[in-house]
Amino acid sequence: MHFGGIYEDEIVGKAYDKRLLGRFVRYLRPYRRLVVLSLLLLPLIAAAKLAQPWLLKLAIDNHIVSGRMEGLPFLSLSYFALIIGDGLLTYLEIYLLQYLGQRVMFDLRVDLFSHIHRLSASFFDRTPTGGLVTRVTSDVEVLGEMFTAGIISIVGDVLVLAGIVGIMLWMNLKLSLVTFTVLPLLLYIVFTFRTRMRTSFREVRARLSNLNSFLAESIGGMAVVQLFNRQAAEQREFTRLNAAYRDANLPVITWDAALFAAVEALSSVAVGLIVWYGGGEIIRGTLTFGALVAFIQYIEKFFAPIRDLSAKYSIMQGAMAALERIFGLLDVEKDSDLPGFRSLAGIESPLMGGGRGEGEPSPIQTIEFRDVWFAYNGDDYVLKAFNLTIRRGEKLALVGETGGGKTTVTRLLSRFYEVSKGSILIDGRDIREIPLDELRGRIGVVLQEPFLFTGSIRYNISLGDEAAGQRVERAAEMVGADRFIRNLPNGFDEEVRERGSNLSVGERQLISFARAVAFDPEILVLDEATSSVDTASERLIQEGLTGLLAGRTSLVVAHRLSTVRDADRIVVIHKGEKAEEGSHEELMARQGLYYRLYQLQFRD
Amino acid sequence: MEGLQFPGRDSHSPGWYGLLIIGAALAHGVVRIFSRTTLLHAGRRIEYRIREDLYAKLLSLDLPFFAAGRTGDLISRFSNDLTNVRMLLGFGFLNVVNTIIVYVAAVIFMVRINPFLTLCAVLPYPLMILLVKQVSRRIFYHSKRAQEELAALTSHAEESIAASVTVRAYRREEPRIQAFRELAGRYLYSSMKMANLRGIVIPFMASMGGLGTLIVLFVGGGRVISGVMTLGDFVAFTGYLAMLIWPTVVLGWILNLLQRGAVSMGRLNAVLDASPVVAEDPTPAPVERIAGRIEFRGLSFGYNGEPLLKDISLCIRPGMKLGIVGPVGSGKTTLVRLITRLYPVADGMIFIDGTDINRLPLRALRDAIGFVPQESFLFSRTLGENIAYGREGASTGEVEQAARLARLEGDVAGFSKGYGTLVGERGVTLSGGQKQRSAIARALLKDPAVLILDDPLSAVDARTEEEILGGLASYYGNRTVLIVSHRLSALRGCDLIVVLEEGRIVEQGTHAELLALGGRYAAIHREQNLREEIERF
Ligand SMILES: Nc1ncnc2c1ncn2[C@@H]1O[C@H](COP(=O)(O)OP(=O)(O)OP(=O)(O)O)[C@@H](O)[C@H]1O
Ligand SMILES: Nc1ncnc2c1ncn2[C@@H]1O[C@H](COP(=O)(O)OP(=O)(O)O)[C@@H](O)[C@H]1O
Ligand SMILES: [Mg+2]
Ligand SMILES: [Mg+2]
Repeated sequence: MHFGGIYEDEIVGKAYDKRLLGRFVRYLRPYRRLVVLSLLLLPLIAAAKLAQPWLLKLAIDNHIVSGRMEGLPFLSLSYFALIIGDGLLTYLEIYLLQYLGQRVMFDLRVDLFSHIHRLSASFFDRTPTGGLVTRVTSDVEVLGEMFTAGIISIVGDVLVLAGIVGIMLWMNLKLSLVTFTVLPLLLYIVFTFRTRMRTSFREVRARLSNLNSFLAESIGGMAVVQLFNRQAAEQREFTRLNAAYRDANLPVITWDAALFAAVEALSSVAVGLIVWYGGGEIIRGTLTFGALVAFIQYIEKFFAPIRDLSAKYSIMQGAMAALERIFGLLDVEKDSDLPGFRSLAGIESPLMGGGRGEGEPSPIQTIEFRDVWFAYNGDDYVLKAFNLTIRRGEKLALVGETGGGKTTVTRLLSRFYEVSKGSILIDGRDIREIPLDELRGRIGVVLQEPFLFTGSIRYNISLGDEAAGQRVERAAEMVGADRFIRNLPNGFDEEVRERGSNLSVGERQLISFARAVAFDPEILVLDEATSSVDTASERLIQEGLTGLLAGRTSLVVAHRLSTVRDADRIVVIHKGEKAEEGSHEELMARQGLYYRLYQLQFRD
Repeated sequence: MEGLQFPGRDSHSPGWYGLLIIGAALAHGVVRIFSRTTLLHAGRRIEYRIREDLYAKLLSLDLPFFAAGRTGDLISRFSNDLTNVRMLLGFGFLNVVNTIIVYVAAVIFMVRINPFLTLCAVLPYPLMILLVKQVSRRIFYHSKRAQEELAALTSHAEESIAASVTVRAYRREEPRIQAFRELAGRYLYSSMKMANLRGIVIPFMASMGGLGTLIVLFVGGGRVISGVMTLGDFVAFTGYLAMLIWPTVVLGWILNLLQRGAVSMGRLNAVLDASPVVAEDPTPAPVERIAGRIEFRGLSFGYNGEPLLKDISLCIRPGMKLGIVGPVGSGKTTLVRLITRLYPVADGMIFIDGTDINRLPLRALRDAIGFVPQESFLFSRTLGENIAYGREGASTGEVEQAARLARLEGDVAGFSKGYGTLVGERGVTLSGGQKQRSAIARALLKDPAVLILDDPLSAVDARTEEEILGGLASYYGNRTVLIVSHRLSALRGCDLIVVLEEGRIVEQGTHAELLALGGRYAAIHREQNLREEIERF
């Protein structure tokens, strides 16, 4: 049994290699000088290597055999110089290739990471973190292997190959053709192996991604696993994924070894054919023995680069499979590519009063949800014909049953998701026309689930923003978080562990609240921002915030009605529809949903 | 060849030779495929085993271990470090065997030709060993740094991706990307240090081989000229020496693999050797059935030295309903969490049915407790599977029953896929209240003797809360129940309520007693009902 096939990263389908390589080559472009240099080094290194045996031959033939000692020191010295030169050049080549590889990996990584940060929120509803992490790390790392294996020298190999083919044809057409009879078979093998290998590699990459997704989740939920004694079940599932990864890898190894062996075997077959055919020719007297031997040597040379290429072949296929995944992710539409998103950097923001650079943007007067319909998936509408207007300086409260769509309203306002039908207007303009950056900059949200980063408490409040950094202490004070912070051994510099695990849930919520306050936004959205806070602290927050909220537009979601009682207007959402609207007094007088909720909460 | 050179001397045709060569080639190919696949498959199988062991280890480790590290770091160990180890085991092993065979064979032949010349030929090797030692140390050092930096990179990526909504809401994309760029840059730097060392080692090894040849050329050449050595021997000798060059280069490469493998194995061992503080007692007390009597005897506890909970003594009888209130950070979660031994407690502080919890079998202890954590963690599986997580092999009917008790069935009816709805990572596609109620349903399904609810209704509205509490009242039966809550409404019906403050119990009693006491509890109560009174007026 396994868990309904959730940890199943799709195995990315076929992509055209040419296009894939084309895109990859673009990443090499900034370093084209280095690429050319590393290519130029190749013949030099080859020359230095080939010259060594030649010097040895000279030494033997001209000196040792004939017993002439003079000149031998010079030859030895040259030989020594060649060794050093060869070493230096090889060093340079290795270093260059690695450098190229690392630079390209760096660029790809940063591109991937940046791209992930521009994807829409809905993408993350479907995609596990572990899988994305795998792309940024392991998938990119595979490309590094390609450079380490000296992929650039493929170009050299191909050139050498072409040269040798030319020489062979020139030397003896018939024998060459006999040799080349093995080529169709070789091509056939290489081609079938390519498809097989690629399929296997795709599977390998996807399986690794699944494994990492599962692992990441396991680590996050370890307390739950242990509390429910489900270690055995989790281990079973892990074993399934782990075995799938192992089994995906095995054929790759077999194909690789088989290809290598096939090339070796074919080269011998070619020699065999020549011996057979050429032998007959010699007997018939149409071929000299010397020519045959020389030809066999060329066959060896002919297969050397092919062997080299085949050794790199599986690395290449692995890299291509990784590239498919990397570019596949880079092709996922960015937020800014969403339909209707027109304003990009450089285009004047419609909200800025006057021209650009003329100081403060004009304040937002109204926010309007006009007949908004929204569904996360398909036709499951979560909001239905929702209308709402928030005016400047107003405190609007959103209450209702859980799952009613309150959080969804706040998400649509920050444009984490796009409305399905209808529109949201700020001062009469569709929010789709406002640059995301500006829109979100003006709205400060305290999310229902606070997220804390590893780093200091100070960092968690300011998130590294300079202006917010100035207000950290003040903000913490306003929400009453400073009391517990000052009690910590290092105060505001106390380290927060992953996801804030060394703080209580209420403390995390206070920090997340302080964060929103420190950013001093024009519109404040509080989504159950004090749900895990005790009553006394909550009162402190309310007192602290009165100054802050005065004159500030705010949208407050809360279950504890005491928090929303003093709102200018209260909207009750029921199953995605607006059920009631009015001030506390009006709604109480109406004796509807709100009234009943209120009665429930405050009965003794 | 001989056959061709002197045709007719032999009865075999060239075709026969051709076939012979082809046959030998095919046989060689088969052997090659076989040996290569066997070794490399073995590498993969070992990797699989290590990964299994690593995961099994993780499952046995306690929360203090996970709190100390980062998710991304562990992921990095499971993938990148394991890859290094596998490379060492597969390719490394394959080549070490190869190299040793070639070395031994070549040296034996060389010594048989001329021991003195052999000595000359290996003269540069001590130099090589010296360098190897030097470089090894540095490869080890830089490799360690590179692996650590890759782990830091992974952690940053993991955290940023998990925080995607927060990052967007506060427009922290650029700074996060910038920080990533810096980490990637640091990794690049370490990797280049490694590349540099590799770049030195490989040509250096090749040069050593060349240097040996040079010495042989000089010394041996002289001997040939002076007639001490035959030319044939000299040529054969240089031939064998040439055979050594490639394995020597490979040795440099293996050296690199070896150091990286060692570093990575060290990082894996750090996990494999970790031992949980919360460990099973070697001779656990026998348990039949846990009735649910919980006792704290002078419990003191701190996460890092200084005590957080101080001198807590409390006796909870089986079937009792205990309510816990207190300000943020007063230690409520810590108190109830300790009962499950998620964190280590000293002996003689917490007892269940009269037995120290450290003596109870861990499994039996946790089987007896249904726990609803303050933060509802759901797995990215279907909703049904998440609820069924409460008990292995729960039937659909039981899942539905639990969901009904937790007031979830109305929401499920609204999902087009019902219990088959995928809830996303950590349950992101559910509303906060739905997540919380799923976690409640999961715990209820477990049918435990002790039910612990840590602020279980913070994300639900008053009506749903009312309905859930109503449903739970019938479920409680004679289970021991501990409820932590900030809202007093959730504590209605508790037999005993304790007020925690700064890790101490400052008040305890029934609702009525505490109200009469007129202390902190009464103050909270007043606060929460203040508006009602204003309202009445
Ligand atoms: N894993 C941990 N490591 C270190 N310190 C911790 C850890 N968990 C909690 N703390 C600290 O211990 C104190 C008590 O935390 P606890 O979670 O028990 O509070 P709580 O009463 O449940 O608060 P809340 O009402 O906010 O849930 C807090 O100050 C918190 O910062
Ligand atoms: N990311 C999502 N993907 C799919 N469905 C979602 C997502 N987030 C919320 N929902 C569903 O939308 C409905 C409204 O959720 P939400 O707005 O969070 O409710 P609440 O009023 O409790 O804040 C719920 O039924 C919930 O399951
Ligand atoms: Mg919500
Ligand atoms: Mg708590």
